Amino acid sequence: MGIQFREVSYRYPTGSINFYQAISKINLTIQEKDEFITLVGHTGSGKSTLAQHMNALIFPTSGEVEIFGSVVSQKRNKKIKYNALRKHVGLVFQFPEYQLFEETVEKDIMFGPMNFKVKHDEAEVLAKKALSLVGLDETYLKRNPFNLSGGEKKRVSIAGILALDPDILVLDEPTSGLDPAGKKQLMELFTSIQKDTGKTIIVITHDMDLVYEFASRVIVLNGGELVFDGTPEKLFHRDDLNKYCLDYPETIQVLQAVKTRFGKDINIYKKTMTEAALEIERAMKS
Amino acid sequence: MKNIVIGQYVPGTGFFYRMDPRTKIIAVVILMVSIFLLKTINQLLIALAIALIILLAGRISINRVFKGLKPLFVLLIFTFFFQIFFNKEGTLLLDNTLTLSISSIAATIAWTFIWRLFVKINKFKFLLLLAYIIGIYFILRFLPYGYKLTTFKFMIYQKGLEMSLFVVIRLLIIITFSTVLTLTTKPTDLTQGLEKLMRPLKIVGIRSDDFALIISISLRFIPTILDEANKIMSAQASRGADFSEGKLKDKIKQVISLLVPMFIIAFKRSEELADAMESRNFVPGKPRTRIHDLAFNGLDIISSLFIVACLAASILTRVL
Repeated sequence: MGIQFREVSYRYPTGSINFYQAISKINLTIQEKDEFITLVGHTGSGKSTLAQHMNALIFPTSGEVEIFGSVVSQKRNKKIKYNALRKHVGLVFQFPEYQLFEETVEKDIMFGPMNFKVKHDEAEVLAKKALSLVGLDETYLKRNPFNLSGGEKKRVSIAGILALDPDILVLDEPTSGLDPAGKKQLMELFTSIQKDTGKTIIVITHDMDLVYEFASRVIVLNGGELVFDGTPEKLFHRDDLNKYCLDYPETIQVLQAVKTRFGKDINIYKKTMTEAALEIERAMKS
Repeated sequence: MKNIVIGQYVPGTGFFYRMDPRTKIIAVVILMVSIFLLKTINQLLIALAIALIILLAGRISINRVFKGLKPLFVLLIFTFFFQIFFNKEGTLLLDNTLTLSISSIAATIAWTFIWRLFVKINKFKFLLLLAYIIGIYFILRFLPYGYKLTTFKFMIYQKGLEMSLFVVIRLLIIITFSTVLTLTTKPTDLTQGLEKLMRPLKIVGIRSDDFALIISISLRFIPTILDEANKIMSAQASRGADFSEGKLKDKIKQVISLLVPMFIIAFKRSEELADAMESRNFVPGKPRTRIHDLAFNGLDIISSLFIVACLAASILTRVL
């Protein structure tokens, strides 16, 4: 099952604010289990558009997307319950904190499940579970979401999607606007959610350190076209990333600099700073 | 929501574009007054012809203006039928008995069904609606078979028909003029023109520059707010909200899920804007210079003369 993109193109309608070819001829398969995918690319490369195709919020202008067995194409098919697809694929928007509107955190998280006709008591249980998944304790349930900090608001809105218990979770730049520590915490949270639940998680990000450290698969978009699909190791072994306005992770940059400066034989592909430091130590001793 | 044509500026050449916005605003106001001074349908038809000539002279595509009129068709049709039904003066033109019977109800249902089928093609919607209404008239007129629920008289009087045409043409002309104004004038120019025109109101305590600023900021923020609304709608749709279907109670809840975030965003945006303006040393009421200052040219004088002539002509129709 999962999600399959077949020759999917999308063009924003004439007269809208962003009128251009957003994505063109994308072919892509996303498994429904055990993947931690990061979606990278420069601003305006079509990442968000691609993400919105994954739960049928927008329909392709050509090609088709198969989402858990339902084929979404240009024409609206009356037999498909598009709403139900959104329960399979949970999409967390950029700046999700703007979607909060209820007076308590609990009610806000319950909004999603209640829309899918889950009973009140069950929705409460789901809300509790979702809140603990995002690392907030039960004291938050009765708090007003508007009095929380930026990071906490983000967590609550992510919990709002997790409460739907989607099979695939898509997050559109969840770490933007957070401090470095908050970014890392959030990514670690996603890794643990992925490990605990076995769900596939797709994260759109600009942060190559996070990609290198956490992702099992990277998809690179450039000008609306899919230009790379593979492991982060394979991606960062390429030397033409500047072409796609991408950067190398800091560890690789540091080790590369050391390598050029001292001409030592160094393995520059280390994921964490500790590993990088050990590698430098080893190379210096030899 | 993205296809709103009323009040949309379309770049072009033509002499309207070279006119001063102040002249255009005053011209539209005076032309409207002139139109309201006219009393007979013949005079109005002449005015309509003049309006069309003005459009042609300004090289404005009639199609474009027609598109702008589209959303107002409902209003026009409503006024038309209102006049026909309720004005009972003059000679009787048409006197029919319409019957609501089993056969006519059945035929109406079938007719509605056929009409809905055609509407799905999505072309000539307006003509189809007209055909539907006319069809219903004929059904009620000629199918009085079976059990009769009620009968009523359908009468059209000469005066009623005249008045309805009169009112509709008058509205048509007025809307055309205002559409031309917004079609050929940038919103910024329009507000600047308004600001200059309202300057004398300072004596009574209305600050025209503040007023103009409010208008231009609101115009500027319409697309932004629409964009934000779309984003929030998608975000809530991801949480299963359905803005088109469902019971009224669910719908209200879903509208709230859109409104609360919209208010928060709007307030946040306005605060940010205020800060940004303040940091660029904007002080309300303090005189400011402009990059493009408005200036009258020969064209404005010619068109002013024309407008005054129009006004004089319509006053003459009243006096004579």
